[in-house]
Amino acid sequence: MGCSACPLFLLGGIFVFFKSAKYRKSFLKSLLFVLPGVLITLIFVIYPVLNTAWLSLNSWNGIGGAPVTWVGLQNYVKTLTSAKFWNSMLNAFYFMIGGFVVLMPIAFGMALLVTSKMKGTKFFKAAYLMPVMLGTTAVGLMWTFLLNSNFGVLAQFLKAIGHGEWIINWLATPTVNIWCVVLVNEWMYAGYNMLIFAAGIVAIPDDVHDAALLDGCTGIKKIIYITVPLCKNMFMVFSTLCITGCLKAFDIVWAMTNGGPMDSSATPAVLLYTQGFQYKLMGRSGSISIILLVLGLVLSILLNQIIFKEKD
Amino acid sequence: MKKSKTMKGLKSGAMYFIAIFMAVVTFFPLVVTLLSSFKTNEEILLGMFSWPKVWNFSNYPEAIRIASAFRAIGNSLLVAIATLIVTVIIAMPAAYVIARKSYKYLKGCYFLFMAGVMVPVHCTLVSVTKISSALGTKNSYVFMILIYTAFNLSQAIFLFTGYIQGLDKGLDEAAKIDGCGDLRILVQILMPICKPILATEAILVFIYGYSELIFSLILITDNAKYTISRAMLNFTSNFTTDYGPQFAFVIMSMIPMMIIYLLLHEKVEAGMLAGAVKG
Repeated sequence: MGCSACPLFLLGGIFVFFKSAKYRKSFLKSLLFVLPGVLITLIFVIYPVLNTAWLSLNSWNGIGGAPVTWVGLQNYVKTLTSAKFWNSMLNAFYFMIGGFVVLMPIAFGMALLVTSKMKGTKFFKAAYLMPVMLGTTAVGLMWTFLLNSNFGVLAQFLKAIGHGEWIINWLATPTVNIWCVVLVNEWMYAGYNMLIFAAGIVAIPDDVHDAALLDGCTGIKKIIYITVPLCKNMFMVFSTLCITGCLKAFDIVWAMTNGGPMDSSATPAVLLYTQGFQYKLMGRSGSISIILLVLGLVLSILLNQIIFKEKD
Repeated sequence: MKKSKTMKGLKSGAMYFIAIFMAVVTFFPLVVTLLSSFKTNEEILLGMFSWPKVWNFSNYPEAIRIASAFRAIGNSLLVAIATLIVTVIIAMPAAYVIARKSYKYLKGCYFLFMAGVMVPVHCTLVSVTKISSALGTKNSYVFMILIYTAFNLSQAIFLFTGYIQGLDKGLDEAAKIDGCGDLRILVQILMPICKPILATEAILVFIYGYSELIFSLILITDNAKYTISRAMLNFTSNFTTDYGPQFAFVIMSMIPMMIIYLLLHEKVEAGMLAGAVKG
């Protein structure tokens, strides 16, 4: 791979050599400024991805001296036909539903509140952002306690209103548990996404507000017909972040359910971890990684295309 | 006239109600955890949602004893701050050069960083483990900090480049006329102006480095070097029902973050707004 770039470097080098000394100096200085970043990205990001791709075509158990045997596309076949994998994709899909149905309206609502002329918006802004500051593991653990079926707050509340029979072990029941995690995830990121939408709302020029007032368009009408359409870009940003984030969800699932029971509440990222580091199937884990990468790229590009189409 | 006034009153009343309700929902888990950290185990088992009968402060020393809370917090702080410093030192010059200079290779570099943003961390887990074993750097903070930096660089360079591109070139030119070289322009002139975006990135990188879980899970196996998120999990995998100290630990781990957030959040909002209005 390096050899095919050699002629390019050679040409570039000759080009630079024939320019003035001042140009050379400035050229090299700029190169120096950008080199550490490039090197680190190449070594720690790009190379590992390529290595993972290669590894996904092999079978390895992760221990230093163990044999690495070529298996071709077998890992991919096994992954794409495994119920666990599709279940994890379903879980990621639940995350996305939660994101668009719960998180988006709440974050947008918060943004509207926080950019309005209400008193105390500064306090509310800081308050809503607080969950993100806590870190995903702390949040996950906190909610695990709250959802405990013996002494958790939810259980207590249900007992108090006389519906003790509705108490189940929420975090150990398949499907129920992943939805709990999804909702906690929305609780945590509401404030963060509020900032994104707030930035869009604040960017709407004042004349638009004045014109709307003149036309008698206020309140909910204004929100539906003016504010939301003008924030299209921000909705796009949110969508991209949401979709790519859902594929990557790990910390919060791990802290609350460990992906269990039996990987049933695992998202693809959690599955990747358990397959590789618990079941010691590094090749399989690699194949999940690459599938996720490709999926993420495809979705990002698709979403970007939609944005460009909208702009036209 | 009267009707619209009551309508207005109702509307704004409803708005306040919703805002306060959401704030309560946001704070509620935190408050309950805080209260629980002052209870004994028996009290907690009776039910989490109640005022502690006796304010029991022993959970905090217990947490410190069981999970070496101070050490874990210290480790996380160290890693977070180091990552922050390294990221800024590497990203700022790169962003400056990409934003201000017009060499062709810079475009290629920009695309490289863009590719870096798209790579989900998990794709590299296995390889990073392999590299780490090969280099013999298991349990090495230096290695982990480099990894953290690598994954934050792309986002940092994006933010910084966008911001610098939005700054007036006149500043650079005035400085050049005064005889400033690139380094001086960057450090003495641009950095101070970039405070909002630096604060934004600082908070983002700090949150990441402080509470990061997955890399520290696979790279650090030495108990004494556990960072916060890893140490927190120590509690849950035990079969002891020592909930009090767990709550205490969670609360303790939040304090540094809160402090930094309170210090920096004004600058962050200015930075985010600035980025949005221009973009």
